[in-house]
Amino acid sequence: MIRFQKKNLLYKVYTWLPILALFISVFSEFDLNYLNIDYFSFNFPYILIFYFALKAYQKFDYFLVFLAGLFNDAVVGLPLGISSLSYILICIFATYLRNITLSPNLIKDWFYFLFIISLINSINFSVLFLFFSYELDITLFIVNNFFTFLFYIIFSIFFKRYLKSLDD
Amino acid sequence: MAESRDDFIIAIRSAFLKKSTKQKFSLLTLVFFSIFIIVLSNFNFKAITVTKSVIKEIVYRSSFIVSIPENFIKSSYLNLTEYTNFYKEFKTTKEELDQLKSENISTKIIKSENDELKSLIDGYTITSNKILAKVIVDHKSPFLKSIIINKGSKEKIKIGTNIYDRSYLVGRVIEVNYTNSRVLLLTDLNSNIPVSITPGNVQAIIVGNGDKKGEIRYIKNDLINKIDDKGIAYTSGTGSIFKSGIPVGTVDLKDENEKILINFYSDFTQLKYVFAEIDELVPTSVKTKEDDQTKVSSDTEQIKLNLISDELQILEESNTKFLEENKELNSLTNELNKQIEILKKENDFQKNLIQQYNLDQEELEFLRLNLIYSSKCQSKKLFSTGFKVGTPEYKECIMRKGKISD
Repeated sequence: MIRFQKKNLLYKVYTWLPILALFISVFSEFDLNYLNIDYFSFNFPYILIFYFALKAYQKFDYFLVFLAGLFNDAVVGLPLGISSLSYILICIFATYLRNITLSPNLIKDWFYFLFIISLINSINFSVLFLFFSYELDITLFIVNNFFTFLFYIIFSIFFKRYLKSLDD
Repeated sequence: MAESRDDFIIAIRSAFLKKSTKQKFSLLTLVFFSIFIIVLSNFNFKAITVTKSVIKEIVYRSSFIVSIPENFIKSSYLNLTEYTNFYKEFKTTKEELDQLKSENISTKIIKSENDELKSLIDGYTITSNKILAKVIVDHKSPFLKSIIINKGSKEKIKIGTNIYDRSYLVGRVIEVNYTNSRVLLLTDLNSNIPVSITPGNVQAIIVGNGDKKGEIRYIKNDLINKIDDKGIAYTSGTGSIFKSGIPVGTVDLKDENEKILINFYSDFTQLKYVFAEIDELVPTSVKTKEDDQTKVSSDTEQIKLNLISDELQILEESNTKFLEENKELNSLTNELNKQIEILKKENDFQKNLIQQYNLDQEELEFLRLNLIYSSKCQSKKLFSTGFKVGTPEYKECIMRKGKISD
C-alpha cells in the first residue's frame, strides 16, 4: 500500500483524486465505447458522483461537480446545464439516502442507484426530446443505464479501498 | 405516522439546504443555477452567445489536451494494425490511383462545362475553397455523433458548412465558435440528408441510425423496388442543406429488419483531418458580361484542350506500356516454343527406346517357349500337324504354347 507523508503535495493531489477523475472523465468522455461493442456504454461520472456524495467525502465539492456538468455538456454537445442538473440531482438523492440510512448496505445502495439513474436518464431523455427536439435512441439510454448500474459495484470496491487508504 | 413524515421532511431539507463545512453552495442553489443556465442558453442574446462560445472554446481546448494520452494509445494501436496491412494496401491504392487519374480528367471537363453553364444561368459563380481542418475532439458519445474541428468563424466557417473526408461527405457544421466548430456527423439520429440513388435516380432522405450507418426513411413506396443493392447515393441538393452531387455511400439491402441501409464511404471513427468547404458568391459584372463570356468560353476551351492533351499523353504512355509488355510476351512465347520442340524430340527418342525394349522382350519370350514347345510345333513326319521352322505359323504355335489352331 502506498503511504504518503501528510501535508505532502502528492498527498494533497491524492485527496483530490475523485474530483480530478471526474474532470478527466468528463473531458475525455471515458466510457470505453471505443471498444466498438454495439450499444455498450456506461456513465462513469454518475457512479463517481453518487458514491462520493453518499460517503460525504469532504473534498468532493458540489460546485466543482456542477462545473464538471457544464464541461460535459460542452464536450458532448448537449444544451448547457443539462448534465449539471443531472449531477446535482444525483448528489441530492445520495445525500437524502445518507440522511435516512443508519447502517449502510452496499446492495441496497446499488439498487437505490439504479432507481436514481433511471429517473435521471428519464428526465434527461424527456427534456431533450420535448424541449430541445433531439432525436434520441431510447435503447441506448436503457443499455447505458444498465451498464452504469452493473459497473457501480465494481467501481465501489475501488473507491472503498481509496477511502480506506486515506483513513490509514 | 406524523413522526415518519417529519423524518422525511428533515432528511429532504437536510439534503437540499444543509451546507457542509467545505461546500460553497447548497445543492438547492446549484439546482436553480442549472435550470437558470438551461433556460438562459435558449435565448439568443449576444452576451449569452459570447459567453457560451468562450466556455466552449476553453472546454474544447482542454478536452483536446486531456485526451492526448488516450488518443496516443489509440493512434499507436491503429498505426500498428496499419503497418501489418501496408504492402497489400499499397498495391490496391496504386491500382486505384491509375484508374482515378483517368477518371479525374473527364470529371474536370464536366466541371469546367458545369461552371460555364452556371455562370451563364445565374450571373454569378460559386468559388468553393476547401480548407483543411484538424479534428480536435471526437469523443463518441452514445447519444450524439459529432466532432469538433479547429476551424471556426475566423476562417469564415458558418452554420451549415459542408464537411468532407477526401471527397466524401461527412456532415455539416451545427455550431460555430471563433476558432473551432462542431460538426454533426451523418450517422447522428438528427442528421437528414436529401439524396438521389442511382441507378433509377430515386429521391430519398437518409437519416443517421445513431451507430455506423444511415437509413433510408422517406421514400415513395412504389419506388422502393427500384433501389438496387450496392446502388450509389449522392446528395441531391434539395433544401440547400448539402451541395448536390457529393457521394455519400452505397445501398445495403441485407438488413435483417428489411430496412434499407446506407454504408457511408467514410469511416467516421477514423477521422483525423477533414475539409470544410467555404463557398463565396462572385457576381458576374453586367458591363463586361459579353467580354467575360467570350473570355470564359475561350478559357474553357483552353482548359478542355489542356485536359484532352493530358488524356492523350496518358493514353500514349499506357500504349507504350502495352507495346513493351507485348514485346516481352512475344519473346517469352518464342522461348516456350523452342522448349516445346526440345521436349518433343526427347519424347520421340524415349518412345523408340520403349518400343525396342518391348520387341526384345517378345523375342526373348519366343526363344524361351521355343525350347519347351518346339517339338510340338515342328513338322517331322509326312502326316504330322506341325509347321516348318521359321514360318509365322510356327512362331504363332510356339507363342500359344504348342496349341495348334484349327
